[in-house]
Amino acid sequence: MSRKINLYLVEYAINALFRNRSKNIFIMVVFTLLTALLSSIFFITGSIKHELQSTVDALPQIVVQKIKAGRHYDIDTSVADEILNITGVSEALPRVWGYYYFENAGVNFSVMGIEQYAQQYKKSFDTVVNKFDFDELDSNKQMVVGEGVKKVMEKNYYNKYFNFIKPDGTFKQISIAGTFKGDTKLESNDMILMSTQNVREIFDIAQDKATDIVVKVPNPEEVTTIASKIKLLYPDSRVITSNDLQVSYQNIFDYKSGVFLALFIVALFTFFMIIYDKASGLSSEEKREIGILKAIGWRVDDVLKEKFYESFIISFLAFLVGTLLAFAFVYLFQAPLLREIFVGYSQLKTSFELPFVFDIQTLFLVFFLSVPIYIAATIIPSWRAATLEVDEVIR
Amino acid sequence: MFSKKIVLAFMLLVGLYSASYAENTFSKMASGKPTLIQEGQKKKWCSVCGMNLKMFYKTSHTVKLKDGKKRQYCSMRCLAVDSHEHNISLDAVQVVDVNSEKLINANKAFYVLNSKIKGTMSKVSKLAFASEDEANAFAKEYGGEVTDFKTAFAKANTSLEKDIAMVQMKKEKKMYPMGKKIFEKKCQESIDPMAYKEINQLKSAIASDDKLCKPLKEKQLQAVALYLWDIKRVDKSKEDIGNIEIGKDEKCPVCGMFTHMFPKWAAQIFYKNGNIEQHQSFDGVKDLMKFYFNATAWGSYEYFKKENITKILVNDYYNQKAIDGQKAFYVVGSDVSGPMGNELIPFEKEADAKTFLHDHHGKSIVTFDKITKDEVSKLDK
Repeated sequence: MSRKINLYLVEYAINALFRNRSKNIFIMVVFTLLTALLSSIFFITGSIKHELQSTVDALPQIVVQKIKAGRHYDIDTSVADEILNITGVSEALPRVWGYYYFENAGVNFSVMGIEQYAQQYKKSFDTVVNKFDFDELDSNKQMVVGEGVKKVMEKNYYNKYFNFIKPDGTFKQISIAGTFKGDTKLESNDMILMSTQNVREIFDIAQDKATDIVVKVPNPEEVTTIASKIKLLYPDSRVITSNDLQVSYQNIFDYKSGVFLALFIVALFTFFMIIYDKASGLSSEEKREIGILKAIGWRVDDVLKEKFYESFIISFLAFLVGTLLAFAFVYLFQAPLLREIFVGYSQLKTSFELPFVFDIQTLFLVFFLSVPIYIAATIIPSWRAATLEVDEVIR
Repeated sequence: MFSKKIVLAFMLLVGLYSASYAENTFSKMASGKPTLIQEGQKKKWCSVCGMNLKMFYKTSHTVKLKDGKKRQYCSMRCLAVDSHEHNISLDAVQVVDVNSEKLINANKAFYVLNSKIKGTMSKVSKLAFASEDEANAFAKEYGGEVTDFKTAFAKANTSLEKDIAMVQMKKEKKMYPMGKKIFEKKCQESIDPMAYKEINQLKSAIASDDKLCKPLKEKQLQAVALYLWDIKRVDKSKEDIGNIEIGKDEKCPVCGMFTHMFPKWAAQIFYKNGNIEQHQSFDGVKDLMKFYFNATAWGSYEYFKKENITKILVNDYYNQKAIDGQKAFYVVGSDVSGPMGNELIPFEKEADAKTFLHDHHGKSIVTFDKITKDEVSKLDK
């Protein structure tokens, strides 16, 4: 028995598809939409998961804040020196930063102070520091902005500089020295980097104060011990470890993906309804066709092969078109409507782009959820019809 | 504009070194022009640590050396350090009176120890007053006890070791890396710290000559000076011991696990087999020790001899850097376990080992040569 594909059977299958044109086009469209919807959902969750993971990975291991009357206060920079003295800590850096609300665009910028020669707690900052000298930026009153921030500013006609409003109501004009690309889209979309001195001025933070202190611990197993030591040393502090943060980010994400799951179940349910409808029986016309084919000498496996080709062609084509549509929808058009579900996930009003993440597993998942099921749903009733006596079918 | 910058830099320094946690009203900085008694440009800085004297003026001490040279220190701590190196007669020591900000005879001054004000380069601050009443008044407001110079100096000497360790930790973790960065970016490679007798000479040379370094802020200047003085001058040519690098196919000869799966716990023995240097990688010091005591029990390692060992590498638990296993300190019986259960946890410094022992309920600290076969086999029980 030759393993070659019988081209005559394929030809017959294609012709059969064209014979039932309107019905098959309908199936094709429904099928395409379903795979497109399914894979869009997977693509979006995949992208956001990736973005989330890289955000979490970039978080410092321990953040120390001062809490007074249940609220976050500026912390003394000398606390950093004390923390540095704890065994197992390799870096303790006071950070000077804050959110600046830009009313015209309705967005929050994260304004971060950078010390040129201190250790940087983020890799992306290291590259920025190598590219720009923040000592010079300080004396020239300049800043480096994320690519997304630049766009927002340009929309509001701030092409070369930006006017920050200080707490006392006066302006602080800072010109844009350049842009940078962050590790994550979220980062480049809302971050402004400038010298610590300028940030202090914009937010009116005293010289010996900082917003918080980030601590680096080379051995991750020691994080808990060190966190509890800091807490003991400064009872008025809130010590946040990256594990805590990961959990809270994860919670937000899980809540949102619950909504997606509901959508996913609805889509899958619809799909199985159609399959069930198809599998429950063939129309008498189709049965008669199988009967005639058998009568003119087709064997059962010829019939099944033909039906296989027929269903494979239509389902695989629909799958391909569907995933391509999903790719275009998610990554080219940034998933309008669907991504609205995720608005607010960052707790910031900044927009973010879905990063391109190609995950072969999701493609396989969508493939196995759709194509084989459809093929089975076509072949099983055909097999039932094909095993019946010919005269019974044609009569 | 320039003076404004200096003021800003000073303020930063205040923030970094001396901002007191409880009190913000008191500043150790000179309110007016400080009395600086050293000669030349270097007079702005402490002769021992190089810190800015104006910033820490209210804890400043001065002495006259036998050869007539005058020295001024940022604090009693630096005076104590210097008194071990030079033969300093304590009779001539002068100190800044906190209230009048003038130099007075230290032996007649009244010291307030252990007040809320943070010490300069020391855990305990030592502030001097001209009269007992003033000292008492200060102690009433900021706490602390009133005593004389001799007691204060004795205290400074007893706590010296701890204070040096504290400052050294900060230098290593923060100032040296920062100084190195600034040096590489802003300074001439050719600066020779050996050409200067004191760190404040070096500082004044850098500050006055734009050719050596581009203009620096006070804090940056201090970082560069410390880096040059402590690292470059001493030329710690302590050879780099290298990292622990493990191939994907290396298995621990004792337990058979792939070692690269546990980089944190990896340990290596290098030894000479004939003329070739070979090594074995282990997923923990415990397995390394088992192999070290009885290599042939784990396979045909007859060629392994203790005499042929060239080096042993283990990872320091805290900073995760490779250290010499034969010089390390090991904590036994702690609640931290490695991939093979109970472990000997390695540390470069004994002080770190002690901290760990305390934090993780360890039983004892042993050095490499004190580790016995029995002790290692006990770990598996």
